Amino acid sequence: MNEVTEKLEQFGLSVYEQINKERSPFLKIPQRGLSNVSFDEKNRMLSLGNKASKRYYLNVAHTRKFMQTILVASYCRRLVEEGRHAGIRELYYALKHSISGTRENTFDDQTESNAITEDIEVSLDLLREQLNLTADRRGYLYGDVLIKDGEDEFNASKLGRGGWAVPGTVEDIEFPEVDAEYMLVVETAAMADRLIEEKFAQKNGALIVACQGQAPRGVRRLIQRLHFENKLPVIVFTDGDPYGWYIYSTIKQGSMNLAYLSKRLSVPDAVFVGMTMKDIEVYSLKSVTERLKATDKSRIKELKSYEWFKHKKWQKELDLCLKLGVRIEQQALANKSLEFVAKEYLPEKIEHKNFLP
Amino acid sequence: MNQEQRHANDIFKDFRVQSVSEFFRKNAAMLGYTGKIRSLTTLIHEGVTNALDACEDARILPDIKVEIEELGTEHYRITVEDNASGIPLSFIPEVFGRMLAGSKAHRNIQSRGQQGIGISGAVMYSQVTTGRPSIVLTSTGDSPIVKCDVQIDVEHNIGRVIHKKKRVNKENWRGTKLIFEVKEVLYNKSRYSPYNYLRMTSISNPHARITFVEPDGTKIIFDRSIDTVPKSPKETKPHPKGITPHDLLLMARYTDKRTISSFLLHDFVRISSARTKDIEKMSSLSLNKHPKKMTWKEAESLVKAFKAIKFVAPPTDGLIPIGDESIKKGMEVISPEFSYSVTRSALTYKGGIPFIVEVGVAYGGNHTSSNGMDIIRYANRAPLIFDQGGCAITEAVNSVDWKRYGVRDDDKSPLTVFVNLVSTHIPYTSAGKQAVAQEEEIYSEIRNGIMDAGRSLKSFLRGKRRAHEKRKKMDTLRKYAPETASALGGLLKMKNSSKVEEKLYTIIGKKYGEKA
Repeated sequence: MNEVTEKLEQFGLSVYEQINKERSPFLKIPQRGLSNVSFDEKNRMLSLGNKASKRYYLNVAHTRKFMQTILVASYCRRLVEEGRHAGIRELYYALKHSISGTRENTFDDQTESNAITEDIEVSLDLLREQLNLTADRRGYLYGDVLIKDGEDEFNASKLGRGGWAVPGTVEDIEFPEVDAEYMLVVETAAMADRLIEEKFAQKNGALIVACQGQAPRGVRRLIQRLHFENKLPVIVFTDGDPYGWYIYSTIKQGSMNLAYLSKRLSVPDAVFVGMTMKDIEVYSLKSVTERLKATDKSRIKELKSYEWFKHKKWQKELDLCLKLGVRIEQQALANKSLEFVAKEYLPEKIEHKNFLP
Repeated sequence: MNQEQRHANDIFKDFRVQSVSEFFRKNAAMLGYTGKIRSLTTLIHEGVTNALDACEDARILPDIKVEIEELGTEHYRITVEDNASGIPLSFIPEVFGRMLAGSKAHRNIQSRGQQGIGISGAVMYSQVTTGRPSIVLTSTGDSPIVKCDVQIDVEHNIGRVIHKKKRVNKENWRGTKLIFEVKEVLYNKSRYSPYNYLRMTSISNPHARITFVEPDGTKIIFDRSIDTVPKSPKETKPHPKGITPHDLLLMARYTDKRTISSFLLHDFVRISSARTKDIEKMSSLSLNKHPKKMTWKEAESLVKAFKAIKFVAPPTDGLIPIGDESIKKGMEVISPEFSYSVTRSALTYKGGIPFIVEVGVAYGGNHTSSNGMDIIRYANRAPLIFDQGGCAITEAVNSVDWKRYGVRDDDKSPLTVFVNLVSTHIPYTSAGKQAVAQEEEIYSEIRNGIMDAGRSLKSFLRGKRRAHEKRKKMDTLRKYAPETASALGGLLKMKNSSKVEEKLYTIIGKKYGEKA
């Protein structure tokens, strides 16, 4: 029995013991909400507190989740013992069935099983990968880096314009040779494609990572490993709006949901290159801004209140955004010219270290 | 004008005094003989009321048998038998044949019947629809059984015994059996049916056993739940507030007192000598006059004085309520989940007519009406089945905000509301005696009674709701048990997870105080 099955077995046994003694069975699950997440000043990343909630079988509000938790745990043990891997969507479909004697399903949609999976990860202090679960993958890498993935070895700058699609799990990947000065993490695939076409990677010695929205775990782990193992600085380039800034924040100091994994996923030294509110003025982009919606404004206010957005420069940036009442997309730079972003905007800002912390 | 003027002699040559019986023959509707179903129920009502009253007078636990046989289309034979004292032969024509001749008319006493029209009306209805006399069998137990045919001489308001036979009473049978045929009526099992009438009668008379044989031969026994004969109502002297000039004159004619003041002092309750002086002053009449010489005008001024003077409220010992315990017992016929009953204190209406309101509320059981509240009304224990809409009882029940008592959806709640109005004089809206008139005091007292019962109902419903919620929670917990058990079995690689499932059920049961 390995560490993972041992942990799953113990998890089940504690429930079994309670039931056997005819006590009200419960599961202890660390809380993953804002109330149990704090900003660790020393490590400059989000960390999970030690608040835990108890999931009682006898509490009607918990019963269903209790059942789901045992179901997922049981499925993971099977995966691990059989040496198979399953995507989290596969897990959802594998476990979805109607509860006998009712018309109710064990899971109604994947958000339910996803949440339970995270519960188990936190409770057992195990990675999803260790449970043989793979996350939905997204994101790609382009640039001069030699990648060893099992038997295969290839250079990520020789794979064509599409680059190398980052798998859900990058634990086994090796990087025998890295020839780059920094990593540029780009929010949108469209912008990454633009930079690839403009030969930005070659001209600036950059590795381009497209995270395609909120960076998935595989991508975050990849960035983190390249940063710490190959000393590559991380520069993040997103839209100039609360969602873009939060993507940056997640890469830099971790996310609330996966706060327990911050140490494995975050890059506290990452810097932010744009888009910023100041860019609007400096590059006269006012005509290509978009008005903030009410939800954008309230999201900005939320960000302002987070411990890890308390840096003066960020408070100023957020205030300015509220004051101007606009957002600016990366691709708005096309207003100048298609190559503007690759030839002027990024090289200039990066050279002058015109970053937000 | 092409018609000639008529002389009085011409007009009055056809005029003749109409007997009471004839009047009612023509106005059967007033007695409740309207419609095929209602007429049948009214007939049963008259027979059963008569039987119950007879048993009460004799202080005997009633054992009443009612049988309806179908003889043809809309043609039935009805038999009502009681185990009361029986009727001496000489009274048979009086009892069954004459209107307004009951032993209780003109007496200030609580009774089911009141005007003494009832049973003779039934005999007459039978006679009118079939042309046949009614058959009466009776014995006092220690005498031969008398069987006779009774007919009403409509014109003279007299009952006549046509045939009579005596036979030896070997079995010492005691009681009275009335058999009559009737046409143009219809038997069914609706709300207005004899069945429902008898069921309601059984609720208000828990000391009676009523056996009912339906036309198809089905035998239903509404058994007694109490083995004691209720107290008989006492005759009480009238209270001055409840009197009309007509009543006063009638009483004055029958009194043995020689002066009006002595008559007032002795034949009424709550008139003291001090009050007689007040009355004298107020009416400016000489009360030394012989009561028999009282004029209408004098009677009027006396009544006027009664209205103006304050009297102590009348005694109420003449009223015999069913009693809350007995109502509860009676409502067991419905086998409700919950019942509450209250007998309110006596009050008076119209200034001096005493009455008592009794209210029972039952929830669940074999509630009759499928949609909503079932209001069952009684006057002096006698069910009121018809004219529900125009009745003060119905209005009082409906005026209550039932939501306040936890009745969420009074259109669907299986509620039975029982109201019995007890009085020496029930203010009926008509001679059909099926609806109580809107007397403010009675109306508000019924509401008070319902509110009493409502408070208790509320806590029951709250408990019931709680139990329901508990049940629902328990069901939820049980629902997930098999899935949880098998998942745990899978996680721990157990061969069989049924033990885990059982244990889960035990834990759930323990939480809700149940054995698994």
